[in-house]
This record gives sequence, C-alpha cells and structure tokens, in this order.
Amino acid sequence: MESKAIESPKELQEQLLDMEKLKYCFECGICTASCPVMEITSNHYNPRVLLEQILLDPDKVLKKEALWLCAWCYRCYKRCPQRLKVPEIFLALRKMATRQGHLEGFNEALRTVSRHVPFPASYCWVCLHPERSMLDRQFVESALQNATRFSAKERKRRAILAQEAERCKVAVIGSGPAGLTAACELAVEGFPVTVFESMTKLGGMLQKCLPTYRLPKDVLNAEIEHMKDLGIEFRTSTTVGKDLTIGKLRREGFKAIFISTGAHKSRELKVEGCNREGVLHALEFLKEANLGNANVGEKVVVIGGGNVAVDAARTALRMGAKDVAVLYRRSREEMPANPWEVSEAEAEGVKIHFLISPKKILGKNKRVAALECIKMSLGELDESGRRAPLPVEGSEFIMDSDMIILAIGEMPNLTFLPKEIEITEAGTIAVDPFTMETSMPGVFAGGDVVLGPATVVEAIVAGKRAASSIERYLEGEV
Amino acid sequence: MTKVQLQETEHATPTESIRIGVYVCHCGLNIAGSVDCEAVAKFAATLPYVVVSKDYRYTCSEPGQELIRSDIKEYKLNRVVVASCSPRLHEPTFRRVCEDAGLNKYLFEMANIREHCSWVHLHDRESATEKAEDLVRMAVARAALLEPEEENTVPITRKALVIGGGVAGIQAALDLADTGYHVYLVERDPSIGGRMAQLDKTFPTMDCSICILAPKMADAGRHPNIELLTNSEVQEVKGYIGNFKAKVMKKPRYVTDECTACGDCVPVCSVTVPNEFDVGLSTRHGIYIPFPQAVPSTYIVDRELCLNKENIIVCDKCIKACERQAIDFEMKPEILELEVGTIVVATGADVFDPASLVEYGYTKFPNVITSLEFERLINAGGPSGGHIIRPSDMKIPETVAFIQCVGSRSERGHLYCSNVCCMNTIKDSLLIKEHWPETKIYVFYLDIRAYGKGFEDLYKRAKKEGVLFIRGLPAEVIEDRKTRNLWLIGENTLQQELYRINAEMAILSIGIEPRKDSAVIQRLLTLSRTQDGFFMEAHPKLRPVDAPTGGIFLAGCAESPKDIKDSVTQASAAAARASILMAKGKVTVEAITPRLIEENCTVCGLCARVCPYNAIIFDKEAKRVEFIEAACGGCGTCAAECPFDAIKMRHFTDEQIFAQIDAATQLDAEKKIIAFCCNWCSYAGADFAGVSRMQYPTNVRIIRTMCSGRVAPKFVEYAFARGAAAVLVSGCHIGDCHYINANYQTLKRVEKLWKKMERLELNKDRLQLEWINASEGERLASKIREMQAIVGSVSAEEIENSKKMMRKG
Repeated sequence: MESKAIESPKELQEQLLDMEKLKYCFECGICTASCPVMEITSNHYNPRVLLEQILLDPDKVLKKEALWLCAWCYRCYKRCPQRLKVPEIFLALRKMATRQGHLEGFNEALRTVSRHVPFPASYCWVCLHPERSMLDRQFVESALQNATRFSAKERKRRAILAQEAERCKVAVIGSGPAGLTAACELAVEGFPVTVFESMTKLGGMLQKCLPTYRLPKDVLNAEIEHMKDLGIEFRTSTTVGKDLTIGKLRREGFKAIFISTGAHKSRELKVEGCNREGVLHALEFLKEANLGNANVGEKVVVIGGGNVAVDAARTALRMGAKDVAVLYRRSREEMPANPWEVSEAEAEGVKIHFLISPKKILGKNKRVAALECIKMSLGELDESGRRAPLPVEGSEFIMDSDMIILAIGEMPNLTFLPKEIEITEAGTIAVDPFTMETSMPGVFAGGDVVLGPATVVEAIVAGKRAASSIERYLEGEV
Repeated sequence: MTKVQLQETEHATPTESIRIGVYVCHCGLNIAGSVDCEAVAKFAATLPYVVVSKDYRYTCSEPGQELIRSDIKEYKLNRVVVASCSPRLHEPTFRRVCEDAGLNKYLFEMANIREHCSWVHLHDRESATEKAEDLVRMAVARAALLEPEEENTVPITRKALVIGGGVAGIQAALDLADTGYHVYLVERDPSIGGRMAQLDKTFPTMDCSICILAPKMADAGRHPNIELLTNSEVQEVKGYIGNFKAKVMKKPRYVTDECTACGDCVPVCSVTVPNEFDVGLSTRHGIYIPFPQAVPSTYIVDRELCLNKENIIVCDKCIKACERQAIDFEMKPEILELEVGTIVVATGADVFDPASLVEYGYTKFPNVITSLEFERLINAGGPSGGHIIRPSDMKIPETVAFIQCVGSRSERGHLYCSNVCCMNTIKDSLLIKEHWPETKIYVFYLDIRAYGKGFEDLYKRAKKEGVLFIRGLPAEVIEDRKTRNLWLIGENTLQQELYRINAEMAILSIGIEPRKDSAVIQRLLTLSRTQDGFFMEAHPKLRPVDAPTGGIFLAGCAESPKDIKDSVTQASAAAARASILMAKGKVTVEAITPRLIEENCTVCGLCARVCPYNAIIFDKEAKRVEFIEAACGGCGTCAAECPFDAIKMRHFTDEQIFAQIDAATQLDAEKKIIAFCCNWCSYAGADFAGVSRMQYPTNVRIIRTMCSGRVAPKFVEYAFARGAAAVLVSGCHIGDCHYINANYQTLKRVEKLWKKMERLELNKDRLQLEWINASEGERLASKIREMQAIVGSVSAEEIENSKKMMRKG
C-alpha cells in the first residue's frame, strides 16, 4: 500500500498502526542488542534510541543519519516484545525524508557504511534497499561514488602502511560476504591474506545466487577489484576438500584459517518423485539464472517460505514463467521471508499459498507434470517457537506444474572438515559465539557455515568478529 | 419555547396522567465538560408529560437525592428520569431515592449521558449536546410507559461452594465456615494448598510459605463446617442466586480412609514419574502423597501408571505391602449433588511457559530455569534440600541472572503486568544472598514495580546487599558449550551500552496466566472474562469481588494476577459478600420476568422451545403455557420469539422499546444508528468505551435490553420503517451468553432479517450483528466507526424504500 502524500511525520504517526504501537515501546533494548548494524558500525547506531526520537521529535529524525542505517534483517522484530515492525517504521520515515528532500542523512549513512564495510556499494544495494525509499537510482549511484571514493583509498593507504610490519599469513576459505569482510579487515592491519574460492568468480552467494535485479554484478566485481589493491591474494577454482585441506594450509604456513564456506547444500525434500526431470533446487536455479543459462517452465511451483523461495519465484517470473506459485506449509505469520519481499512478489504476480505441503511429485515419463499437495493446519508451538503444521486428513489435491523449485532450506557442506572441528546438532560448525574460534585452535569460522542461511549483514558481523579475534590470536602467537 | 409534540406513534400511549421529573447531572465536569447540561434540562422541559426539569452538579450526592425526593412530593411526580451515568452504576441509588419518596422503583428511568455520550464525544460539544437531548427524549418516552412492579423474594440456601483450594479458596472457606455456614471446598488436585504450598518464602516479610499456610490447611481439613472434596471437579452448576445446584465429581483416590500414611507402599512401587509438585525437578512413585504437609494427609494412586497397554492393572505390590488393606483399585468416581446458596470462584492461575521465547533457551540450556523451579530448588523440602544447584553439574552457581517480564507486558506472551514477579525476584535474590552472600546477582528488568506495603524496603535491602539491577532485557541467552555457563546479551538502556554478561545460571521470572481451562468454569457459571482471560468483576471499583452473575464471588488469581496478601484479602472479602447474602436468608428477584397475555396466546409452544432455562411449561394437550418465575432468568428471548405478541416482558415491554425507537428516530433518522445492546456484555462494553474515553461518532443511539435475545425482529424492522440509516444488534459472544445460550436465537433472527432484506433488495449491510463483551470497548467504538461509513453510503432513496418495505412488513 503506497501512502499518499502524508507530509508531516505527526500525521504519519497517526496513520500507521505500528507508529501507534510505538507508543507502547517500553525501551527494553532488545532491538538494539539484536541489531547487527549496531555491531558493524561499532555502536554508531542504536535503533531503540531512534525509535524514542520518533516520538519526541519526528521532524528531527528525518534529517538523521541513523534513519538510513537499518539493513532489514528483521532480527529486532522477531524478538520485540511489542512486535514492532521497526524496519517498516523506518521505511515510512525514509520515504518521507526522500519526498521532503532530506537526503543529508542518507549521504552520511553511506559514509559510515563505507568506513565499516569493505564493499559499501554492494551492501547499499543489497541491504539498504534505496529503491524502497523512493530514492532515484542515479542519485544513489553518485552518492555512493562520493561516499566510497575516500574510504577505498584510506583502506589502501592503511594496508600499505601496515604491510611494513612482519605478520603471519592468514587463509580465508570462501569469498562470500563473511570471507571478504574478514579478508579486508585483516589486510588493512597488514596481514598477508589469501582467499580461496571454489567458483571461478568471487563473491559467494552475492555472486552466485543473488538475483541481478537485486545486485548489479558489475558493482560487486568493481568492489572486489578494489580489494586486490589491498594486497589480498585470491585463488579461484580452488575447492576445499578437493584441492586443499585444512592440514595442508597449516603446513603451508597459514597460522590462522577462517572458514566461511557458506551454506550451499540444499535440504532434500522427502517426498516421492523428487528425482524427476524438472525438479531442481532453488540455489541451483538462481545460479544458472545468474549465468544466463537457466530454462524456466510455464507453471512453476516453488516450495518453501524463506527469502530464497521468494527470490526464486520472482526470478522465475522475470524469466517468463506464466504462472508462479509458492507453497508454504505454515501461515503468513510464520513465514521466514521478509514480509515486504513477500508483498512485492505478490504485487508482481507470484501467488503464495499458505498452509499447503507437497505430498508427491507426479509425472509423465520422467518429467514433472503435477504435484500432489495436502492442506495443513497449525497446532501447538514447536521447539522453534512457531506453531507446528499438521496435515489435514483427506485434504489432498493436485496442482499442475512443469517445474518444481525446492527452497526448503540450505545447510553447509562440512565433509572437508578434520574431525578436530566440532559440529553442532544442526549441522553447522560449532564456534565460540564471540571469538568465532572453532574447537581447533587457530581455525575460525563464520557466516552461513555457522548460522545456517542468514543475511548479508549477519555475515559481515561474523567476518568482523573473526578478523579481530584472529588478530588477537596471532599477536599472542608472534 | 413551544412544546415539541411527540410524533404520532403507532404504538401505545400512556393512559393515566403522567407527571415526569427530569434531572440532568453535570457530574462535575465529567458531563458538563462536553455537554451543555443546562440546555439539555431546558429541552427536557419541553417534552410531553415533563412537569419539572432541572440540571444539578452532582445528582447522586445527598443534596441531589434530596432534591428529587422533595420534587416527587412537591410536583406529585409519578415518573423520574435522571440523565447522568450508566444505570449499571447508579440505577440502584436512584431507585432507592424513588422508594424513599413513596414511588415504586420501577417507575425510574435513566439516560446514560456520561459513558455513552460526554466521555465518548469529548471534542464535539454541539453534537454531544444534541445526542444527550435525544437520549433524554428516549428516556422520557420510555418512562411514560413504565409500570410499577412488585418483586418476588426467594429463599437462600445457607451453604456455600468454594471452587479451588489454594490460599484464596482456603481463606474464603475458613471465613465462611467460621461465620457458621456449611462450606464445600472443592479442589481438583489430591491436596489443598495450591501454588503457595510450592513457594519457599513470601515477600516482603520473608516468612516461610508452607509454615504459614500449613496451619490454615489443617484448619480447613478439620473444620466441622467444611466438607473437603479434594481430587474432585465441579461438572455442572444450575440454578440462580441463592439456589444453585452443583454436580461435583469425586475422583477415586484408590486409597480408603483406612490409610494411616505410614508410607510402606511407596518403596515397593516400581514406577516413577516427574513430580508435579516439584515442577518436574524430582520424581514420585505411582502411589504417593503430594507433599509432606498435604491435606488430607493420605496417599493416592496414579492409576494410569499401573495399567499396561491393554488397560489392565498388572501390578499389585502396593496392595500386598499395605497392612491395613487400604488400597482399593475398585473405587469408582462418585457424583455428588450439592445445593448451595453462594459460590466463591478461587480457581487460581497457571504460569507462562517460556519455551516459546526460543532466544532464552529454556529447555534447550539446562541452566536456564523458571522462577517456579527456583522456588522448589531453594526450598529445604525441595529436590535439592534447599541448595540452589544448577542442573547441568549440581554446582552452586557463583553468578546468577534473573530476567524479568518473561511472558508479561509482551505481545509474545501476555500484555498485562503479572504483578508479583518483580517482588518475587527481589525476594529470591535476597534468599540467595542469605545463603551464599558472595554470589553475584544480576536482575535484568524493564521497570521494578515495588508498589505494596513494605515492598520498597525489600527492594532497597536487595540493593544494599549488592544485587545489581540492570535496566534492559537480554535479547539473547547463549550457552558456552564447554562450561554450560550462559552469556546474556542485551542493552543497558540507561547507559546506552551493550552488555555481555556471563552467568552460571539464569532464572526466567515467568508471568502468571489464566488457567488453561478457564473457559470451562466460565461456561459452568456464566461468568465473563476480560480480554486478558481472567474472570471479570461486576464493577472494577465498587464491586470488585462480585461476579456479574448474582451469588457468585471471585477470589485470588482467578480474577487477576495477585500476591498472597491480596489473594487472602480478596478471599475474605468474597466470604463476607457471600455471608451478607446468606445472612439475609432471602433475595429479591428483579421484576423483569415475563407475563402471559392469555387472549393472544395460541399455545403454539415456540416460547418454550427457545427458553434457555426450561422455565416455560408447555402442555399442548392441556392447552397450557406457564412461566416458572423462580427458574426464569429474564432474558426475554421468549417474548422476541412469540409471533402473536402474547408475552409481556415486564420492564422491557414491546411498547417501551417501540417508544425508545420512536424518540431516537424523531430527528434526522436517516443519519442515525440504532444499537440494541445487551445489559451484561455489550452495554457494559459501551460503558467501558466511555470509561476509557474511546471516541466514536455521535450518531449512535443505544437501547438497553437484558439480552440480545430480547431483540425481536419487529424492533429492527420498526427502526428501519422509521427511517434509521443502520441498526446494530449486539450481545455477548456465542458461548459466553449471560443467559446460557439465548444469543443463538439472536443470531438466527438476525440471519433471517438479512435474508429478508436481501429479498426486499435492501442493503443488508445496514443491519449489523457484533458480539462485544464487557471489556471490548474498542470493539464497540470501532464497530460504530465502521458503521458510520455505511451510514454515509445509504441514499435517501434507499431510506425511503426501507421505510415503505419495512412498514409493509
């Protein structure tokens, strides 16, 4: 719903339900303590304080930098006792700031981001969603240019200065956002860093699976080029477990290793017919789509309720599918995908069916022809704190489909790990939550390989934490 | 000013010479602040039959009452109308005034211009004044048709039923029994004692909980006037104030009175299950005594545990071990039928289950426990003998963190404050300090609410002992996989700094929530519940322990979260209120029951079919329809059902309601909403909207009936025939009807009306049905706002159409 010309924040306060609810904020601080941006910007940002300022003086908030820093991870909303949709509140104010031409805050925010994130432009497009705040694309591009010009130079200057000190070698496995962040943070401190990447191109999920409509790939590639200036060595097409092992890296003299290999293994759907032609995993589909060689069916069904499912559905629609449906087994309330992405997808024409679960994939010959589904109802809360979906006896029905995309979650592939490194029950690497150190001294891990599928901001936090503990660790070592 | 003529009505006009006095109350500025009371009084003077009309600052004050009394005599008034607050508040006051002056109290009528007018239209004086005039016009029209009524009295059974054997139930039972009444104390569990028996110490005095409770339990157990029914549940309650009939199921204990509690049976029992009394921190056997101080002090067999898959008892070790042969697996449940005059509901509360707040890791991390579990750990009689040991390694923790407001003041739990958790945590922190003074204690809080007598002192003592209070709740608890210690991460909101604190044990200060099966008790006793789910009192200030249903009283946490002192206070109050009724020995029944107009009756039997109380005897053969007044609740759904106008609901007659509709639609009918609200839920909900100052449009005119089941289709049709833009019918939620199920009839009738409107090609959105309970003021207000949009969309043509169509019938 597009708000029509509400011009005073006071009016906005009255109109938005969440603004109304904002008055019930008891300032418990849970939003701030949950916020990855707070950590990325070294406590420069505090959403709780910003929320309070909206009540005290909404006009002043329009000009504030902090208004533009929220990166849409929704961690605050998930834990907020008052269920405040904090990012949505900020978005409403951002739109108003845009309309009223208060863009100084945005510029300031980009400068802050540039100081703290090694790939600020990519971060801006992926995490800040300037288009949602009605910002003009050209304006954002030039603002980014202004903001990043200095920071890239500054990083390079610091890296060169620091290189004079004799430092131990560090290996980073995986060049996704966690790995890139850690690599840059360490390079700036003068550590010789080598990044290993299994793909031919750098950037991990950003490169491989993030749809181009969300992140133009030239922006990402330009920023990775800048990183090379910091003295980071990149070795692509090198797969851990095949071309190298943790033990081998240690023998090669890498005193610290950071594992940030992400979560690329798609969870398997345990229903009959998954091996039929036309059934594929979402990450696979997104990767092929980014490479430009994916085919899309006419009637596409995406199974799952996360951001990946929504991305896949929107990508399929953009590639020319006539009919795209997403099946999710719980209700809208429980859907893990960001609510606004869901509504954008719906606006584009993706049909989202709630409380439906696949039962059997039917086909003709080897190909997919249809999907047998069953309706679900919600029962008691389960261990995830959400209401457990239960099948409704006898409610089966058939949906025609010629392509089924599975997006029921991803997990890390950990077969390459030596047995000294502990793994959690959830199939991720067990680390100290603050130092990111694994059970093997000198080996650190972070990003999706530790968290399971998460957001880019959370990966950056992990990269930063790991970099600073690697630094501490190596300083103790030397 | 000329006299406004009462529009020619199609219905009755009064026959005798009517002399009405109207008194418009300012209520200080409560009414006068947004209504021009003087103008309303002047307007009232122009209405038919009004011989005197005055405005007065505080009509309910003694001088105000005296004014009415003297006017009744001076002007020979035979009807009195007071325009002031809700009749639910002051109708009894003014009825007494009338009686004092020799006027039958049923000749009094009230116009609610405060809760339904001045408070909900604070910012539109002109419209509010207009509405107040309309409300007075309606009241005067009804008053002219009021008739004197005589009330019957019924005797009261001098016995009481107390449901729930926690501290509130025990106190109420003891007080009633000491006053001399026979009391049945029904408890679902095998022993009385309730939550208080589980607690270690009590705040703010730090008394030992069971030490002060056990003597009371013993007193209740041996009081000659108390019949203790433990392991028993109330299954059915019928009847009415003074004359309830309750069915209680006494579940078998499988242990007879021969039991001497020697305990020989226990060691031989081979099954063990988590002990409920220790919240699962210890185990008990299949035959057990709930706790050492249990009353009655006899064993009980958890027979489910003795069965195999085929439901056959496969073990008889305890039977063999019992020398007195007190174990009898053949015992059957017993149904007792009790006759009581009053009922005290003291069913207590449950605690919030924090497992749904996944970020705190309860059940995932062994060292995260709840405050109730902590009570058992610190209790000398508990599973650890009074040592707080952390579950992971049985070590005494050196750092302990308390997290407040877990499940309280939150959309993810309950919106209300649970009242006791702040002080409970402070008490617990002092208990730790008392045993292990070196322990480092953090309390993470939102607000510390130390509001009671002695509470602030205790809070200060905790501060003095070095307990650290940090404002800001943890966002997350993370477990160190090696040490099983916990990291608490949050923002210290006063310092605007993140904290990351390592604690060896975390205690979640969980809130109180309504019993999961409150709905069952609610239905058994036709009670109401607030939005929070706790039982609602008849008036939050003036009748705080009376349930809205006569003869039923509330005590303890069943009514709202409260501490022991407040529970005991309320229990004594409930006992006193019940005693007042029983001491009188009789109760007058409101004269609102039906009378048969025999010449109209065709003995069709429709009325008997809809009566929720089976209070209508219908004998087709004998051509007899008869009302049993003592069993009648007075809802009026029989009168609404009767197609032949053969039933007259006293004090809520057809003529009176038609007159109200006439008056409400006299001016600008096409802009108005006529709302029929039941006395117990929706009218009370409208009162609540007023008390909460929820603002809504001024064009609604509320007509009170006892039940929405009283709203005959002809009332709705008549409102449309008179040109009303919209009609709202509103009652208690289905299942919550004050008259058992009379509102099912409402639903049926409204559905029929909708069909009829469709058939007549009228916009059926103009008739709305909404269930609104007494705490849903906002629901009422938003319904009216929503209907305002419908009113705006109704064309003049449509109004004319409905006038014609509905007049035709």
